[in-house]
Amino acid sequence: MTAPPAAPTLEVRGLTRRFGGLVAVDDVSFAVQEGEIFGLIGPNGAGKTTLFNLVTGLTPPSAGALLHRGDDITGSPPHVVAQRGIARTFQNIRLFTNLSALGNVMIGRHIHTRSGLLPGVLGFPSSRAEEEAVRERALELLDLVGLRDRAQVRAGSFPYGDQRRLEIARALALEPRVLLLDEPAAGLNTNEKAGLSRFVRELRDRFDLTVLLIEHHVPLVMGLCDRIAVLEFGRLIAVGDPAAVRSDPAVVEAYLGEET
Amino acid sequence: MALLQAYGFLIVLMVINALLALSLYLPLMSGQLSLASPGFYAFGGYIAAILSTRVFAPADGEPYAVGLVVLEMLIAGVASGALGVLVAIPALRLSGIYLALATIAFVEILRVVSLNLPITGQAVGIFGIPQPFGSQLGYLLLAIPLFLLAVVFVARLERVRIGRAFTAIRADELAASAMGIATGPYKVLAFALGAALAGTTGALAAHFVNTWNARQGTFDASILYLAFVLIGGSRTFVGPVVGGLVLTAVPELLRGSAQVGALPAWLEGFLSGGGRLIIFGVLLAVGTVFFPQGLVTPELLARLRRGRSRPEVAVAEAQP
Ligand SMILES: Nc1ncnc2c1ncn2[C@@H]1O[C@H](COP(=O)(O)OP(=O)(O)OP(=O)(O)O)[C@@H](O)[C@H]1O
Ligand SMILES: [Mg+2]
Repeated sequence: MTAPPAAPTLEVRGLTRRFGGLVAVDDVSFAVQEGEIFGLIGPNGAGKTTLFNLVTGLTPPSAGALLHRGDDITGSPPHVVAQRGIARTFQNIRLFTNLSALGNVMIGRHIHTRSGLLPGVLGFPSSRAEEEAVRERALELLDLVGLRDRAQVRAGSFPYGDQRRLEIARALALEPRVLLLDEPAAGLNTNEKAGLSRFVRELRDRFDLTVLLIEHHVPLVMGLCDRIAVLEFGRLIAVGDPAAVRSDPAVVEAYLGEET
Repeated sequence: MALLQAYGFLIVLMVINALLALSLYLPLMSGQLSLASPGFYAFGGYIAAILSTRVFAPADGEPYAVGLVVLEMLIAGVASGALGVLVAIPALRLSGIYLALATIAFVEILRVVSLNLPITGQAVGIFGIPQPFGSQLGYLLLAIPLFLLAVVFVARLERVRIGRAFTAIRADELAASAMGIATGPYKVLAFALGAALAGTTGALAAHFVNTWNARQGTFDASILYLAFVLIGGSRTFVGPVVGGLVLTAVPELLRGSAQVGALPAWLEGFLSGGGRLIIFGVLLAVGTVFFPQGLVTPELLARLRRGRSRPEVAVAEAQP
């Protein structure tokens, strides 16, 4: 008896999203395998962020399907997608700026905690224990991104790069199996960019993650990703390993050509 | 003690208004600007008025049992909470100013309904609501425990899982949902908690003011409670509590001094007429310019607790 081939971690089939007359994502299909670091590149306005929004349920698709481990989750609301273990960061960083770094990461523990209204407010022992565990776990994650010593600092007052790392820590608090990073290197200096590649690989290995990552900086993507998909005007023009994508004529013409 | 007796009415009123400010703060914790509190307050008051004059009515001359008032408060709280759920679910489609307008409409609908229903006494209302205490100061026996309970509840709530979910939704609803928080049920819960508190307070207030009619829950009151929250501060529960207590006391004390002849007649007339609302209007306008966060902010509280200035900023600036 042979086991059936495992369903891909994430699969999009003919995914399409229209905004009025504009087709932001146009009939895109690909599959991401477990444990991959999967890059998504393309010029500005190509539809990369929209594709992330479709995958995380923030934007409902106009057509097409989305599968997670073989289950059809098309049209699931964002919190259901998150509860399935798909977490993300945002291109335009969406931290809870008025809360401390610790508060932000603690909110990320929501789906792994149970404490109800009265047990929480009355401080039942089970609730107190859970609260303590949430705090501990959040501090560990802050440690991982190097922000533990500033756990009590207001998130909005962090420098840009630290905000990006804090957002990753908050996403990791969900204990996701799939992590979507929208331009995590934006605004980082060269040094930090190099560190980011290492960090993403470390995260993948340590937490058994599948990573989808949007990035404009081509050398970083080529060096980091196992496979890369290229979008242009909402359409998928190439998908494959970095070497194949780099030499794909359509890609060279549409995107990489203008880089050099 | 004589002073306490003289100001008994005012002190109870201060506590009631602080409770109502808190009832507006609860939905706001999850980012919902609801002005429905006066509606639930009126609703709870009618429940107590009807129960105490028709169902639990004491025999002539007998004092009314305090326990029955507590029972009415419980019933009114549960009923208002349930009504809150019914209102909150369709209101989920709205936010910001549109939600505020819809909740004002809800208050108006309740008012018109109570003006026309025989059971709420129509335009006359319900009067002769039985008194459990010999003096108005006696009401502190119920008002203070309810107040402490509400304050402790909200203070604790801000520090635990459910309250964190509210805070996340208020800060960024979309990011909250991406964190796996089902925003809808939490918004309904926050709305219903505010409704329950307003209804419970209304039940107490109905006995306190003795008569209950359609003038109890009105648009004016919506604006008044909003002023308590915005001037007191809308980012920590301490803000509405301080706002409710202080903004109730100040005009009454001014009016009190008017009665001992310390104020000119025109000012006295102004204060006991619509003047209070005008003053709050000006305070709101001025306050939003100079204290956009209100008088009490979480940062201010942290500074008071630690006894030094703005530590969180200092730490942040120490970083390269
Ligand atoms: N909510 C929306 N309403 C209308 N148009 C939208 C919306 N979101 C995105 N678009 C449009 O869809 C197109 C794709 O946008 P998207 O943000 O997905 O691009 P992107 O590839 O992430 O670009 P960038 O590299 O600049 O981040 C753009 O033309 C954009 O203006
Ligand atoms: Mg983008």
